[in-house]
Amino acid sequence: MYICFQNEIKMKNSQLYKGSLNTIIMKLLEENGKMYGYEITQKVKAITAGELNITEGALYPALHKLEAEGILDVEIAKVDNRMRKYYKLTEAGEKETVNRLSELEDFIRNMQSLVNPKPSLEF
Amino acid sequence: MQLTTSQIDQLFTFTRQHSVEWYDLQSELVDHLANSIEAQWQQFPKRTFEEALNIEFKKFGVFGFMDVVEKRQAVLGKKYNSIVWKHFKDFFSVPKIILTVAMTLAMFLILKISAVKEYIFLGFYLLMIIAMFYEIYKSYQTRKNKKQSGEKRWLFEEIISQYGNFAGIIIFPFNMMARIFNDHERMLSNDYWLIGLCFFLVSFSLFLFIIFKIIPSKAESYLLATYPEYKLEKL
Repeated sequence: MYICFQNEIKMKNSQLYKGSLNTIIMKLLEENGKMYGYEITQKVKAITAGELNITEGALYPALHKLEAEGILDVEIAKVDNRMRKYYKLTEAGEKETVNRLSELEDFIRNMQSLVNPKPSLEF
Repeated sequence: MQLTTSQIDQLFTFTRQHSVEWYDLQSELVDHLANSIEAQWQQFPKRTFEEALNIEFKKFGVFGFMDVVEKRQAVLGKKYNSIVWKHFKDFFSVPKIILTVAMTLAMFLILKISAVKEYIFLGFYLLMIIAMFYEIYKSYQTRKNKKQSGEKRWLFEEIISQYGNFAGIIIFPFNMMARIFNDHERMLSNDYWLIGLCFFLVSFSLFLFIIFKIIPSKAESYLLATYPEYKLEKL
């Protein structure tokens, strides 16, 4: 019973947040400069106090797609005994981030009005 | 606590065992797994390497790394298609268009004055097929040797050496060619038809030349542009 409930929460999360994953990644990179995959998952977890978990199976495809679209650029550094791939916004990516964030803000505002409509004064 | 070099090697083997055959994807996933294992050890120092690895791998879902691999293949496949298209467009813009038009006209004139045009026509197509099968075979052997030697393999390099999804395209006009050959008196005697066919054959040859010759010859520079780590590995 408990497992079912947990899964449902995860599913609900994934459905609602799915469309915003790219924007979340871009926003984080805008704030932090360059980041690597694991760092992004941990940052999201920390900011949302563990409420939002970006699954690894969704994060890397999203990063690779943004890279192919020219929104992200990659940098490689040797850290300890392994290679680390950092992602950062390109110039085009920075402009696109501004657009997507304003779209997301509009979306949030509209959803807010739909979910909590202001009481009408008309009779 | 940090992972040892031998544990990093174990992670590379682990990704290989889970359908990740390419170094570019392996190195990114290995860093991810290593970070997670080290983070787990900070919280649970007694957890073994294998336990921590299993916990992290489960987070990738029931299909493991497959999703990451398939999406990466799709993204790089698209990139390959756009490179092919860019080269193809080059042959239809100045200055290369002069060459394309000249080749079409030369072929038209040869076929027009020849008494055995249908044989020249079919012979040209068959020659292309033989040459391309030879290229496919050569490239297959190179890939096989590379796999056996345990050399690092790069996903985009394999897409280039397998010609994206275009390798089968050479067979595609076979029916059309056979039909033209059988009905050559009607089809090859009409100038409009003939010039149209010459244009098609030239475009088709250019397309094959791009995927079988031009792009593989520039593979190194495409790999350098795709993977910053490629340069580090080659140094």
